[in-house]
Amino acid sequence: MSSNTGEKVGAVLVVGAGVGGMQASLDLAEAGYKVYLVDKGPSIGGVMAQLDKTFPTNDCAMCTLAPRMVDCGGHLNIEKLTYSEIESIEGEAGNFNVKIRKKARSVDPDKCTGCGECSEHCLVKNIVYLEPPAVPKIELEADDLSKVDEIIGRYSGGRESLLPILQSINTEFNWLPEGMLRRVAEIKQIPIEHILRLATFYKSFSLEPRGKHIVTVCTGTACHVKGAPRILERFERDLGIQTGQTTSDMQFTLEAVRCIGCCGLSPVITIGEDLYGKLSPAEAAKILERYRD
Amino acid sequence: MKSYRTNVMLCGGTGCVSNGAFKIKDALERELKKHNLENEVGVIMTGCNGFCAQGPVAVVKPDEIFYQLLKEEDAAHIVEEHFLKGRPVKELLYTPPAEKSPVPKMSDIGFFSKQRLIALRNRGMIDPEQIDEYIGRDGYKALAKVLTSMKSEEVIQEVSDSGLRGRGGAGFPTGRKWESRRKDPRTPKYIVCNADEGDPGAFMDRSIVEADPHSVIEGMIIGAYVVGASKGYVYIRMEYPLAVKRMRLAIEQAREYGLLGEDIFGTGFDFDIDIFQGAGAFVCGETTALVSSIEGRIPEPRQRPPRTTLWGKPVVINNVETWANVPAIINRGAKWFSSIGTETSKGTKVFSLAGDINNAGLVEVPMGITLREIVFDIGGGIPKGMEFKAVQTGGPSGGVIPASQLDLPVDYEQLNAAGSMMGSGGMIIMSRKSCMVDVARYFLEFLNDESCGKCTPCREGSGEMLRILERICQGEGRPEDLDTLEELGEAIREASLCGLGQSLPNPVLSSLEHFRDEYEAHINDKKCPAGVCKALITFTIDKEKCKGCRLCAKNCPQEAISGEAKEPHTIDQDKCIKCGVCLDACKFDAVLVA
Amino acid sequence: MGKIRPEDLEKIRERMARTINMREGDARARVTVHMGTCGIAAGARKIMSTLMDLVEERGIDDVVVTTSGCAGLCSREPMLTVELKGEAPVKYVDMDEDKTKSIFSEHIISGKVVKEYALAIGSERVG
Repeated sequence: MSSNTGEKVGAVLVVGAGVGGMQASLDLAEAGYKVYLVDKGPSIGGVMAQLDKTFPTNDCAMCTLAPRMVDCGGHLNIEKLTYSEIESIEGEAGNFNVKIRKKARSVDPDKCTGCGECSEHCLVKNIVYLEPPAVPKIELEADDLSKVDEIIGRYSGGRESLLPILQSINTEFNWLPEGMLRRVAEIKQIPIEHILRLATFYKSFSLEPRGKHIVTVCTGTACHVKGAPRILERFERDLGIQTGQTTSDMQFTLEAVRCIGCCGLSPVITIGEDLYGKLSPAEAAKILERYRD
Repeated sequence: MKSYRTNVMLCGGTGCVSNGAFKIKDALERELKKHNLENEVGVIMTGCNGFCAQGPVAVVKPDEIFYQLLKEEDAAHIVEEHFLKGRPVKELLYTPPAEKSPVPKMSDIGFFSKQRLIALRNRGMIDPEQIDEYIGRDGYKALAKVLTSMKSEEVIQEVSDSGLRGRGGAGFPTGRKWESRRKDPRTPKYIVCNADEGDPGAFMDRSIVEADPHSVIEGMIIGAYVVGASKGYVYIRMEYPLAVKRMRLAIEQAREYGLLGEDIFGTGFDFDIDIFQGAGAFVCGETTALVSSIEGRIPEPRQRPPRTTLWGKPVVINNVETWANVPAIINRGAKWFSSIGTETSKGTKVFSLAGDINNAGLVEVPMGITLREIVFDIGGGIPKGMEFKAVQTGGPSGGVIPASQLDLPVDYEQLNAAGSMMGSGGMIIMSRKSCMVDVARYFLEFLNDESCGKCTPCREGSGEMLRILERICQGEGRPEDLDTLEELGEAIREASLCGLGQSLPNPVLSSLEHFRDEYEAHINDKKCPAGVCKALITFTIDKEKCKGCRLCAKNCPQEAISGEAKEPHTIDQDKCIKCGVCLDACKFDAVLVA
Repeated sequence: MGKIRPEDLEKIRERMARTINMREGDARARVTVHMGTCGIAAGARKIMSTLMDLVEERGIDDVVVTTSGCAGLCSREPMLTVELKGEAPVKYVDMDEDKTKSIFSEHIISGKVVKEYALAIGSERVG
């Protein structure tokens, strides 16, 4: 349709770079328009980037968002104006004049790799102070408490002492009881959340009590091709539990481990500290029986 | 120190110890005493000999007689026959698969003769728990030379000239790494030895630490002197208890001699090493994750650059094997080292051979040796003369190399060009009994499990690829799945932050390239050619071969096998759970998998 | 032993040299005592311990003493084979302690074959 108010410009301004704004920008940009995508925040992505799942389908929020962010970030037709706010808009449809204030970022975006070191080193932090949550009382037997305190006392230092402490508790008690972790948090003045994150990140820690004998089946590559999965299945059948579980009489805990470096003897299992190699499922089952009380 | 006319170098690596090496040692000593030979013949526990498949093994020096598959009961026989009468015990010698008569001498056994030892120079030659034995074989000589007569620049020049590259996988030139840290003005500086050998199927780092911990310590002290570091860490996996024990002992001994601590050799140089034990996370092998782990943070990889730091200070992180090479280079010179190997990759590399291979174990070979030599001359080929199908190099993030490329010379560049990588040096040999789809599924399962979860493409992408592969193994694959796998693989490779994510699709992509027909057999014909994927195979009994011994029926957990004694048996397919017990039980090869 | 200096390394190395050389089998001389049933019956053990003592006494670190089976000449046991590096092996027969001592100082240390006790020079062709 023609208009008498001068020529129309093939450019579009999209305000707000949330998932909606990004999708709109992408569609427009694909159709050949030059897009100016403005957001007052320092990054595109909007609120959705903070969500885990989205209603009502429970889709992974990041999975929906990330491809659009990447596409938007690299699209030649989209000019991103983040950390910017609109001051005024003049004109009419087809021919607007927009004044945008770009706030000082003090970082050269061409050189920044987004490593995050600068924010870690910045002395000024925006810390939100909340009422500290009620800390449950630590429930530990006097024996255990003194043992834990002794272990904690062995390692000085802050966060860097956590891993050795957790390892020692795990070796001593076969698992990490909640009360002990709380005790570590209390003495070391480290949030229990951080300790739990470490405890769940590493494979060797267990947050549940484990059996007297820890049976591990190596499922490293060499053992895998030499039949370790069948040994694992055999153990699951014989013990009546799944991998990772403990028998109800607390005799055995069955675990799969990634390579214990004895590939020359594959397939390999360990029961407690004893190692057995070159086993068929039937031989492995016989060995297991020897450990039964 | 007493010296003996004969030394029995009994392997004390994890493999042999688990098979009773210590009991054999006691038995030998008992027998020697019985024959009053205890002052003539010494029994020495060494580190891993490398020939793990035949363990427990022992080498009798100086005659170099190689004994294998030893048992406690053999001790009396060996002492009586060999040490008293000088006749090697034939039954305990090694017989190569293709030959009939045993080969007594270690140097005549193909497995050993083609190897060239630099990083493993002391394996089987010394007791790793005695620092004097290490010194006796020129140990700490390089350190003395460096500390008393060389400038940092000269050492770096020497290491650069030698062409030594990181043995942990990526192959970054060691000299260049040291130089950049040396120039860094920040202090204190740190040295880290990466012994977090997470690749399933690789065990050279464990073996070096167990067999020769002082070579690693010496390398680290030299590195520390060069860059000006005062503190070092050895990051060892908790799955390696023996290695931790030996390293701890070695550090203590080195401290006692003043080789660690303050004022080393009276030169005013201070340096000390502590052990840091990992707790079971594959991603900790990645340098930025490793330092986070030491710092007590969540070990998620970080963006580089800036360069990896420990507590914000410069750090040199090298792999065990790299450190072990350093003293040898200083002692024998860059020229000697660089004369071994290929144009771009100098020196030797330690590989661990495992999987479907006769001589599973640890081998150190010059760079540029062909895969064929490794698999057949050293590895002794595939058991029962089966056909070689492929070799997986570089661990879970590496790729498969098919039989058609067996003549590939092994170095960093050639392996990359073939779609795989050097990695830490694991080599898993596969025969027709290995299903490539299953192996790819296995690696994806591993990587999906070990992905730290920081980057979405790696975390979600590996899960998605795994679901597709599982579907294919279940016989529910769809024709479009293969294209989806390739597309996903490309996306993950592009969009991940660290090496784990970037190389995660390799096992799938490389097996798709070389063994697409196997994937197609799973999807289109619903068949697993290797007879591995349970949903696609059935067990049956060959009526001709079955002797009716009832062994399989007795062992079957489902009571799915029926038949009268001395009559051919049959398997009830409705009851069969495909556990494979019958296959193992049968002595007549009468159980068929199809 | 406390803290060591670079020069101490050399001392430890010297102390260890014999142990290490023995294992490497890379020695100047190699002495084989034939210890078959016949040899032992004829007193080869005595010869062996004499040799071991001599080596120990004089602190020699480049001689390997080893055993082998019956040499096939049972009537002339105990027997001894001395092989200097780069030279043909020499077989000595009807050994006793004194003969061993003189062979040790003359042949093994000084390199002169003791002709009066020697049976033959060189070894059988094998295969």
